[in-house]
Amino acid sequence: MRSFSELEMDALTEAFNLSLGEAAATFSAIVREEIELSVPTIEILSRDGLTQRLESSQPAGASERLCRINQHFNAASGFQTDALLLFPEHGSLEIVRRMLGDDTPIQHITELEQDALAEIGNIIINSCMSSLANLFKTEMTGSLPRVQSRTVASLLDDKDASDVILVARIGMSMAAHNLSGFVLFIMDVPSIENFMAQVSRLFHLPEPGESPVL
Amino acid sequence: MSCGSLLGDSVDIGLILLDSSGNIRLWNRWIEQRAELTAAQASGLTLARAFGDHIDPRVVLVVREALDFGWSARLSHALHPMPLPLFPPGGERNERMKQSIDVTPVDADGTRCCLLQIRDVTETVRREALLKQQARQLRNDLQSLSRAQVELQRSEMRFRELARQAPAGLFEADSQACCTFLNERCEQILGHSRDCIARMPWVDLLPIDDQARVRSSWRLAVESATRFAEEVRYARPDGKYLWMRVEAGPLRDENERISGFIGTMVDVTEFHERASRNEFRANHDGLTSLLNRDRFERHLRAALSGAREVKDRVALLFIDLDHFKQINDTHGHQAGDIVLKAIAARVRRVLRSEDMVARYGGDEFAVLLNGMGDEPALRAIVIKITHAVALPINLGHCHVRIGCSIGMAVYPDNGDDPASLLTHADKAMYAAKRRRCEMTGTSTTLA
Repeated sequence: MRSFSELEMDALTEAFNLSLGEAAATFSAIVREEIELSVPTIEILSRDGLTQRLESSQPAGASERLCRINQHFNAASGFQTDALLLFPEHGSLEIVRRMLGDDTPIQHITELEQDALAEIGNIIINSCMSSLANLFKTEMTGSLPRVQSRTVASLLDDKDASDVILVARIGMSMAAHNLSGFVLFIMDVPSIENFMAQVSRLFHLPEPGESPVL
Repeated sequence: MSCGSLLGDSVDIGLILLDSSGNIRLWNRWIEQRAELTAAQASGLTLARAFGDHIDPRVVLVVREALDFGWSARLSHALHPMPLPLFPPGGERNERMKQSIDVTPVDADGTRCCLLQIRDVTETVRREALLKQQARQLRNDLQSLSRAQVELQRSEMRFRELARQAPAGLFEADSQACCTFLNERCEQILGHSRDCIARMPWVDLLPIDDQARVRSSWRLAVESATRFAEEVRYARPDGKYLWMRVEAGPLRDENERISGFIGTMVDVTEFHERASRNEFRANHDGLTSLLNRDRFERHLRAALSGAREVKDRVALLFIDLDHFKQINDTHGHQAGDIVLKAIAARVRRVLRSEDMVARYGGDEFAVLLNGMGDEPALRAIVIKITHAVALPINLGHCHVRIGCSIGMAVYPDNGDDPASLLTHADKAMYAAKRRRCEMTGTSTTLA
């Protein structure tokens, strides 16, 4: 796979920044609380590289499970992506139980709570994807959300170890609740190429090999 | 019947398929049973027409999104409890069935349709409500348990501190009287640590003569589940003799069976000593430590009634010192006291231990001799006393001598009651004194 220029990476970051901003606004409306976003980081990593990156972002010694809300999208323009919303399990429980006004002390998420979390993730992810679809003037059909609770080490077990993944990572934190989550977009090589082509078009970047138009 | 509708009617989930215009194309049996419309009636209608205006607006929105943009959506029960007016089959129609709906775009014959999959989550809701109720109950139980535990710890600490500071010895013992707990004071009183005496009944620490009595009293308390209370003598390992008051009440286990006794051991030695000092003082003369007049007369009455029963004889002697006033006048009252003490000791010495000697008045002494009726023996005693009294008495700066007059009365010869015997002895004493005065040419008033 070819490497991307700094200009391309910046454009990619901006595209995700726009779409994730929409998602955060939606999330903020759901939980009726201000959500702070970190600056998105865009990286191209292997599956294991991503796992290591996620492990290193956890507090030392924590073996906290993560709640992963996953939707698969197919864009008519030819790329596919898995959009993943990640929250620490206790944080997800806090969101759901707060929304449902329930403080029952059950350690793990229940089936109905998991369903509610799927719906919340679904709204956030759909909002993010709709803004990408709008930007690219394409259509993206999405699967139903799937919620899983896993340790970081086994979080991406369903991906191929040799997969190259475009990771757009943005931190969302609810200041009032000391809770932070991540949004990841996982794409394979052809999708990355395709996605980048659309980003380039959007931002009028020069084609690879062309000199940039100044 | 088409394969599709056969399949749709066989699944335990609600399926509604809407075509690209949002009109109903599939309405499976599951939905028929829970809605008020048959598939035939619903076919071709929009959701809003099929269900009336009773649909959650979000259902309409996500259906629109699925058809227009190809998005999927989940409507969870938690956030949208009963989005469609569906009712439990065969049940009353007063409450909607609890639902969770998945909305997905599907391609059929090259056009985009929208599939609604509706799940009945009534049972899940019931199960989770029960789970949460149990969790809450558990939390409450846990809270009361931990509160109780804190209270228990506090009360245990309170008891331990109380036991440590208590001025009384506290102990706990099993039914065999083996101590399972002693506070510090109890260990001090007994002079043993709990570990030393843990496997032996505390009764075994008592003097051997008292053990049987106390043991049977303990056994009685165990058998009748009543209070145990005894005052016992106790020789401590350091050689000190004590009087202990031991009191204990039964302890019952959760089955109301007696599991042991809990009680106090108090050192009452001082109380006992004071009581015996008081008793001695009440019965004895403070100067000479001889019996006082009251006590002597009680002994006399007892001796007479005893003698009456066994037909024995009892002798009573009255001793009066001659010229005692002179010693007082010449040498002072302290010298008089020395003389009285010396005479008391001498009279005591010449008599048998069972004989009673009393200071009857100022310088008068009385002696009670049991079983001493015959004249020669009495004479011998009188002579012994006279000689003992007559020996010089050391006053420190000088020696003095003093004589005495002794009157005698014998039961039953000279009277059969205390008063007549006392009168007789008194008279005999005065007669003797008169004789001595006549012999020495002094006046009896000097006595």
